Amino acid sequence: MIEVKGLSKSFGNVKAVDGVALSVGKGELFGLLGPNGSGKTTMIKMLTGQIKPGFGSLRVHGVDVLKDPLRVRELVGIIPEQETPPSFLTAEEYLHFVAKIRKLERYEETCEKWFDFFNFGDQKNVLCKDLSRGTRQKLMFAQAFLHEPELAIIDEPLINLDPVMQRKVKDFLRGYVKNDGTVFISTHILEIAREICTSIGIIYKGKLVYTGRMDELGLEGRNLEGFFLELVGQPGEKQANYETGITGMIARE
Amino acid sequence: MFDIFKSMMKEEWRMHSSLFGHSGFALFPGFIFLFTFLVCLVLPVFREIVSDAGIALGMHYFFLLVGGMVGAFGLMGREFMNRRFGQASLIAYSSRTLPVSERVIFLNFLVKDVVYYFFLYILPFIAGFALAVKLVLPSAAGSFKFSLLTLTLFLSFMIGLSVVFFLSTVYAHSGKTVIAGLLLAFPVLVFASGNFNGETLYAHPGLAFYLAPSETRYLLAPAFLILVPSALSLIFLKVDYPQVQKSFSNSFSGLSSRLGSYRYASFVAKDFLDLKRSEGGLGKIIFSFLLPATLVWVLLSALGNVIPALDSLLLFSLVLGVLSSSMYNWLTEFDLFASYAFLPLKVSDVIKSKLDIYALLNVVPFVFLLGLGLRTEPYTLGPSLLVFLSISFYMVTVLVYLTGLYPSVNLYNGKTFALYALSIVPVLILNIVLSILGPYYLLADLALLPVAVYLLGRSFRKWDGVENPQF
Ligand SMILES: Nc1ncnc2c1ncn2[C@@H]1O[C@H](COP(=O)(O)OP(=O)(O)O)[C@@H](O)[C@H]1O
Ligand SMILES: [Mg+2]
Repeated sequence: MIEVKGLSKSFGNVKAVDGVALSVGKGELFGLLGPNGSGKTTMIKMLTGQIKPGFGSLRVHGVDVLKDPLRVRELVGIIPEQETPPSFLTAEEYLHFVAKIRKLERYEETCEKWFDFFNFGDQKNVLCKDLSRGTRQKLMFAQAFLHEPELAIIDEPLINLDPVMQRKVKDFLRGYVKNDGTVFISTHILEIAREICTSIGIIYKGKLVYTGRMDELGLEGRNLEGFFLELVGQPGEKQANYETGITGMIARE
Repeated sequence: MFDIFKSMMKEEWRMHSSLFGHSGFALFPGFIFLFTFLVCLVLPVFREIVSDAGIALGMHYFFLLVGGMVGAFGLMGREFMNRRFGQASLIAYSSRTLPVSERVIFLNFLVKDVVYYFFLYILPFIAGFALAVKLVLPSAAGSFKFSLLTLTLFLSFMIGLSVVFFLSTVYAHSGKTVIAGLLLAFPVLVFASGNFNGETLYAHPGLAFYLAPSETRYLLAPAFLILVPSALSLIFLKVDYPQVQKSFSNSFSGLSSRLGSYRYASFVAKDFLDLKRSEGGLGKIIFSFLLPATLVWVLLSALGNVIPALDSLLLFSLVLGVLSSSMYNWLTEFDLFASYAFLPLKVSDVIKSKLDIYALLNVVPFVFLLGLGLRTEPYTLGPSLLVFLSISFYMVTVLVYLTGLYPSVNLYNGKTFALYALSIVPVLILNIVLSILGPYYLLADLALLPVAVYLLGRSFRKWDGVENPQF
């Protein structure tokens, strides 16, 4: 579903993404892991044709992203890192707005379903600007799946959700890939990757330092955190800078 | 209290300079200066037909109008800033976390805006004017009192600002439809009652003091008009507590399906709701458009009586075109492209939807002008409508080309503003000259249309190619 070669992007003299090659097959739940500022969001924006790469080629869902970025965004469901739904539409109106832009028919029921799923039907008439961040994230989630895409690309899911909702989302994503969907998520939370991903890539300072299937990782007896730190830095020296608390936050830079 | 003020000034400065770099923002008053200077170079010609008092009159009304527009715009300008910076105007929101009242914060906010506008617009304007007078009219330098002018123009600006501020407070409190109706009746009344004469015009409080500075009592009127409305507005200030969740039943779906298969139906429906549900409601249109337009008409029709060489209706069409183009500013006030970047949409799609709405909104001034023309000068109606349409269209395309979806932010960039003024001011001056020569010379404005169409095509390509890291 995703095929990337030699992908690079610089902002000024910052190499945000540097020579990344990766491929994600159908039915996979791929996790792009890396500390803040490692280039995850930049990767996702390039995958979805929101920004142009400096170098490299990208095929997503069979479409050459450089040639037809709109087509990619038509096919794929995308959850951006920042939730900025229009201020003066209500939650429900926003979902209807997206449905209209995506030219869907009979979307009312689908929207209802999402309000039920995330249990926020009581907020559906509230203006987006007055919603809590968590609720807005639920809304962004619903928005991305309205058109039942075969591929979903998600930037940092779950950060504003409570544990119950996180559980729901994780279960949903697992079910979704079981039904032949494909998911690409980025996260700096190892916990998520450990729990739901079928394969991962680790990105650090724009370079992909590791890719592989979760079951081939050989994690018995080691934890993912240790593995990650080994790849990413000189553990002894760096460890002090990383917070490895119970939530598994790996970095706050 | 002064600390809050200082932090607000700093916040505003940082905000602007982080957007454009220090020099980009600092250049802004420089260009105001330069353009006033350049425009004023034609003063010797102008003085052949207008008296010095007439020139002073024009400037005072201009600043009254600017004050009014700033007042109306200030109400909306915040919307964009809130969105662009999250609730990043930390200080404005700090009343929730600090032991300071909303009123104190708001007063600071107001004073900060006034100080900014004074240094950004008024002072450079006077400086440009003064320099031009000294250079091209050395003999007349004595007849313009510059420091007095600084004071009285500032007073005019403040009167406009505080009156509009007051009206908006009344509007926020009272039955909105009633007030909107009354405000709407105002243009109709003026329209029906015929023209004011020159004398009424010279009663402008700031102007009266400028013309007779020895009469200190003339200062009472401006002081009253500034202090009383502002004080009342502050006392009755209605703060929109952001922590209150606002709910509305779904009107989006109905609205957009009524527009059928029209390509941008969802955007039109959304923009309508933005306008209706944001602070001030639909009444904003009256404040920021019909009211200034009416004021301009009153002024111009009187000016036409005083100076027969000027054709009121033609000049009014010109100003109406300029005012109309400002509608694009508030149409774009509520959006960040970041809200759409992950949907199958391009920047040009959003711009096109805005332009469609812009065209639709232009029907209001068009009808206004049509009615006015039929009543006053049917023989120049054709050229007048042409002037209005071509100026409105041309100006909005220049705005789109230079600033894309963010006119109210990008125009503060000195370089962008310079380009904007360079593409607009000569066209306006040419129009004024042509209107003096005779109405049919204005057919020349037809030449603006192909330019505008070409520019529009370029704009779409330009803005689709730009990545929007900041927004
Ligand atoms: N629009 C931009 N302009 C300049 N630098 C950017 C921009 N976007 C990202 N960067 C830089 O690129 C690097 C990668 O950022 P990002 O992709 O957002 O990382 P992540 O999502 O992993 O936290 C960072 O150093 C960031 O500062
Ligand atoms: Mg990121």
